[in-house]
Amino acid sequence: MTPAKKLLSYSYYPGCSLHASAKEYDESTRGLFKALGIGLQEVPDWLCCGATPAHNVDELLSLSLCAKNLSLAEGVEGDLAVACAACFSRLKVTQHHLADNETKRKQVEYAIDGTVNLAKPVKHLLEILAKDFGLDRLTEAVQKPLAGLKVACYYGCLLTRPPEVPQLDCVEAPTIMERVIGAVGAETVGWSHRMECCGANFTLSRPGVVLKLSGSILDSAKAAGADCLMVACPLCHGNLDIRQKEIEEATGQRFGMPVFYMTQLLALAVGVAPGKLGFDSMIVNPLPLLREKQLL
Amino acid sequence: MKHSTMRLSIETMNLDFVKKVEALSGSSVRRCFQCGKCSAGCPMRSFMEHPPNRIVRFLQLGQYERVLAGRSIWYCASCETCTTRCPNKVDLAAIMDALRKCSWDAKGPSKESYVQLANRLFIDNIRTYGRQYEMRLAAVFNVKSGQFLKDLMLGPKLITKGKLKVFHQKNKNLAEIEQIFKRIEELRKKGEAP
Ligand code: SF4
Ligand code: SF4
Repeated sequence: MTPAKKLLSYSYYPGCSLHASAKEYDESTRGLFKALGIGLQEVPDWLCCGATPAHNVDELLSLSLCAKNLSLAEGVEGDLAVACAACFSRLKVTQHHLADNETKRKQVEYAIDGTVNLAKPVKHLLEILAKDFGLDRLTEAVQKPLAGLKVACYYGCLLTRPPEVPQLDCVEAPTIMERVIGAVGAETVGWSHRMECCGANFTLSRPGVVLKLSGSILDSAKAAGADCLMVACPLCHGNLDIRQKEIEEATGQRFGMPVFYMTQLLALAVGVAPGKLGFDSMIVNPLPLLREKQLL
Repeated sequence: MKHSTMRLSIETMNLDFVKKVEALSGSSVRRCFQCGKCSAGCPMRSFMEHPPNRIVRFLQLGQYERVLAGRSIWYCASCETCTTRCPNKVDLAAIMDALRKCSWDAKGPSKESYVQLANRLFIDNIRTYGRQYEMRLAAVFNVKSGQFLKDLMLGPKLITKGKLKVFHQKNKNLAEIEQIFKRIEELRKKGEAP
């Protein structure tokens, strides 16, 4: 007899982008988890974690916003699942920081008028899929292997940094994205810019920076023979997908490189209907590539 | 500026400033031995006139003016590469945060600190709505920074793709959010928080 499979269930912090510009990340996450039989329950009334702007301006505010979210999450059972790399980093940094800084913890507890929940494990979707659910089970769930699709896995900055905090994988040479997407049959390419910054939130104030940095990322992925990029951060997605045309105009290079959220590709592989994965809201149209690879 | 002579004397060394940066960032600048690893990996290096390791050196020498002059601190993307790679555990990303705060407090907004304007609008959105309202963020930023035409072409496309929302739903717990902001201000007023 096979041992009974543990039923997995999580509380879920989508973060602001997943309710707006990254709605396809949210839709595909829900679709994927449902297909895999993993429970996901959204934390009611969660607020913005402050992302990078909050700690750029006011560290105490940044810690307090995250602490408030952690305390709201207490009301929902299960470890806290986070999709956005920036939200993930901020929530983890807050727990890490307040655990060994009593003075700050007191200030934060005063600000949120409550205690800080340091105990609830905060987990990125990658970690849930690779460690809790397991790569073998992921492979078993595949209905449409992504065979022949060459994916450049892009980590960006915040999935693994700062070093002591996320503990997701090796900080300098992580492989968790490659392992997860490899488990559903995709091919991954080795490339130089997996962890280089895309220009982050300079997208609003100094788009020129984004054109340069994201341009090199696209260039590197293309040179490595990738068909597409896979990301886990709405900001990276915006810079690489939404600004790709501008980058092409500025650099005179043609990339035509679809930028998928990791859950879009995974959900496609486990048989979620393509119509539910938000492919039509991507700026670089991924349909020709998916058709060419016979994935649609 | 870059190659001008730097005079070190009691008058030019502001060690109180350095102490403040160390307190705000929770990181020592004295540990740095100038290996340059932080700057080697910094993706924003080419946009800065002083690379990250030089910023730390200036701090070690109490060169407050030099650190805050120019655009280096405003071009840091908070990518944490420097902090990750420093062999001496200098948390340079946190030091950059502290420097931005000091500069803004001392000098207010400037052309170089455009990015901080965007950051502040982002925070205003949290206070008003509880969550980000991307459309308002972009619109207000463009008006306040005088870049009316920027991204004009991007907007309509994103709206039709359903990526930018024209209307916004507010959180139910706005009063609690307002209270967080108020209480932090109160702590600062009483001198109980940096
Ligand atoms: S990596 Fe660390 S020790 Fe080396 S120059 Fe930068 S701050 Fe100094
Ligand atoms: S955090 Fe800032 S200073 Fe450090 S490597 Fe990134 S951009 Fe450079």
